[in-house]
Amino acid sequence: MGRFVVRRLAGMVAVLFAVSVLVFLIFNVIPNADPARQMAGRSASPQLVASITKEWGFDDPLPQQYLTMMGNIFSGDVISYETEENVDERIVEGIPATFSLCIGAAVIWMFFGILFGYLSAVKAGGLLDRALTVVAVTGISIPVFWLAAIFLNYLTYKIALFPSGGYVGLSENPIEWANHLILPWVTLAIVYVGFYSRVLRSNMLDAMDEDYVRTARAKGLPERQVMTRHVLRNSLVPIVTLFGLDFGALLGGAILVEGVFNLNGIGQYAYESLINLDLPPIMAITLFGAFFVVLFNALVDIAYAYLDPRVKLGTSAP
Amino acid sequence: MSEALLSVRDLRISFATEGGVVQAVDGVSFELAPGEVLAIVGESGSGKSVTAQTIMGLTRSPNASIAGSVRFHDRELIDAGEAELREVRGAEIAMIFQDPMTSLNPVYRVGDQIVEAIRAHRSGVGKDGARERAIRLLDSVGIPDPRKRIDDYPHEFSGGMRQRAMIAMALALEPEVLIADEPTTALDVTIQAQILDLLRRLNRERGLATILITHDFGVVAEMADRVLVMHEGRIIERGDLDEVFYATKDPYTRGLLGAVVRLDQAPPRRPARREGSLLEVTDLVKHFPVKRGLLIDREVDRVRAVDGVSFSVAQGETLGLVGESGSGKSTLSRAVLQLLRPDSGSVRFEGREIAGLSRRQMRPLRPAMQMIFQDPYASLNPRKRVGQIVGEPLRIQDLASGGALRTQVQELLARVGLSPEHYDRYPHEFSGGQRQRIGIARALALRPKLIVADEPVSALDVSIRAQILDLLAELQDDFGLAYVFVAHDIGVVRHVSDRIAVMHKGKIVEQGPADQVCERPADPYTKTLLAAVPVPDPREARARRANSAV
Repeated sequence: MGRFVVRRLAGMVAVLFAVSVLVFLIFNVIPNADPARQMAGRSASPQLVASITKEWGFDDPLPQQYLTMMGNIFSGDVISYETEENVDERIVEGIPATFSLCIGAAVIWMFFGILFGYLSAVKAGGLLDRALTVVAVTGISIPVFWLAAIFLNYLTYKIALFPSGGYVGLSENPIEWANHLILPWVTLAIVYVGFYSRVLRSNMLDAMDEDYVRTARAKGLPERQVMTRHVLRNSLVPIVTLFGLDFGALLGGAILVEGVFNLNGIGQYAYESLINLDLPPIMAITLFGAFFVVLFNALVDIAYAYLDPRVKLGTSAP
Repeated sequence: MSEALLSVRDLRISFATEGGVVQAVDGVSFELAPGEVLAIVGESGSGKSVTAQTIMGLTRSPNASIAGSVRFHDRELIDAGEAELREVRGAEIAMIFQDPMTSLNPVYRVGDQIVEAIRAHRSGVGKDGARERAIRLLDSVGIPDPRKRIDDYPHEFSGGMRQRAMIAMALALEPEVLIADEPTTALDVTIQAQILDLLRRLNRERGLATILITHDFGVVAEMADRVLVMHEGRIIERGDLDEVFYATKDPYTRGLLGAVVRLDQAPPRRPARREGSLLEVTDLVKHFPVKRGLLIDREVDRVRAVDGVSFSVAQGETLGLVGESGSGKSTLSRAVLQLLRPDSGSVRFEGREIAGLSRRQMRPLRPAMQMIFQDPYASLNPRKRVGQIVGEPLRIQDLASGGALRTQVQELLARVGLSPEHYDRYPHEFSGGQRQRIGIARALALRPKLIVADEPVSALDVSIRAQILDLLAELQDDFGLAYVFVAHDIGVVRHVSDRIAVMHKGKIVEQGPADQVCERPADPYTKTLLAAVPVPDPREARARRANSAV
């Protein structure tokens, strides 16, 4: 386990370094992305641009600029070029909304994904399976922004069942918190429910042909126990992998859903920063997102070793 | 015969498949008396496993149609409800299967899987009680240190121990009937001997009536009281053990018995043709490092798969390489062909050193040395046509193209006993034996001098096996081929080889002329190996058992 942690930490540093260098370089080759010109305004004099360039160090060699920026991000001093706010503080402000959205949606999609997948597999070929297949494929195919627009139109403007957007803190008012998040949760979860239920269904159908399932029946176990203890349990391993990757990626910001429902989370901040070609928040949010992707990758491997005793932690390279 | 414990009447089972209805079992009737061992023998597709699984209701599915009667004591099982069947399964009729690795759930501890079986039937037994019982069961089937091993996962057990654990699980509720479906087919021969011993002991000591499903007449001769021979869903021969072996009535059974390769009989020998050395292997070593480390891996141990092996093969000769799983025989054959780079040692082919040559340097030499693989299903690309598969070596080596390629491939197909019309078919349209012929045609395409055949007949039924062995011998005569014939079955190896090398733990422990190694083995391991092979001859088997009991 110690070996595993050391290797993963080393791997994490390497990934974060590579990602940050890449984002930084891409930004520097984009035309018209000179931050000094942006900050100076539309009809600024060349002298103003020059003085901003000098003041912010935009004429330093690139490695120097990179190091300065990374130093600022990790010490919490990084300032947006566009709004001149502290970027790290903005990210911290966005965390409750983004995490509330992702965790709630994840609970919904895991519950219904596993439930639908299980029912589909157990009743494979039957009416219920076909109905759930239609539901799943529809869920996968619906664009998130369209679904969100439909929800908003019918459930908030036509009948005011839910608020039309915004985020209320959990500690401020738990009921309003949930009320504001129900639509975003459902919107975000629907794609994943469809996808996860299909994956689980096919895993379970494969597992049903396994010899150990026949052994379980030959032992005289009740059919439900055969399905849950032997088929479902063994089919969950790939689902956990998927979940780790998807969930880790979402924590870096669910851009579309946050944007449509105006949750003011990290994803929405990322979106605004991208529109403005505002490098400091882009860098900081990318690192923040990459951190969770790598972290959840490691957690998936730990979960794997727990779910499948044949897997030994640390026997393969990170 | 005393009153039957289990009686099967006119059992008919068919499955609806995409290719139409398949009649798997077609009017099978038999009875099982208390305490007897009934062997059901047959080749793959004969319906023997389907029959056995249907007794326990394990073949029920929307695609299956099952008719007839299966009576256990005075209960009818064929149309029993799931709840009633569940009471019988495991508790009164238990079953063990061919592959103990896949038959145990890999994610649960061995003990928990036994406990689960106990508690499924005895809800009154607490967890601790069931666990104590599982420990006693593991002990009774010969698992060493059961109190500790009960918490192991299946992958931490060896193959033989896994099958013992399966047997312990089957015995958990003291059933009256044990159905053993090819219980030793996936095991090494020395392990097979131990498991058969165990099954015999259980039958004797507990009076456990056993239905033994097998394709191996050696196992039948060692175990059975009565025998049923199945072919295409019907029972074509039945009788006491000696009747079936010595007073065979049905021609199919006679053919099966005739096709069995016997270890204790020397095959007719062709004059040895050692016309100068083709392959010379000296002190070959291939180790696999086991690496661990904090950030950078260091080698902490090594698996000595091939550990200083020397042998030679003459032109036109067959060297049999025998060994159990893990003995290093497959690694050795790959290291000889430079498919794996050996760590040290020398491999001379036609006098030229090839050990350590790069892929590019090996390429012009490849046509002379080819390989045939064990699994005729896995070693042919399912998306390619037979013509492409067999013609690929010719195309890669730029030896033929277009019409000439087609003609050559069709000649090859004809040579291995297939039809030229098979050129445009896909592998899945062929039977196992035919697929192995395709593999042989592919190996022959480049007119090799040496063919390394890695378990070429292990996956095939006995009658098909005999045909493929005949084909290999014929091709050897016609093309002057040399074979390195790698197999775990020393009976088959003796049948085809001029000389035999016995591998154990990465080393060759004994080599010499085939008949000499089999009749006057010098090494203790060879002796163990030979003694473990079941003899397909009931009298001989009884004599051997009597001897070993003294």
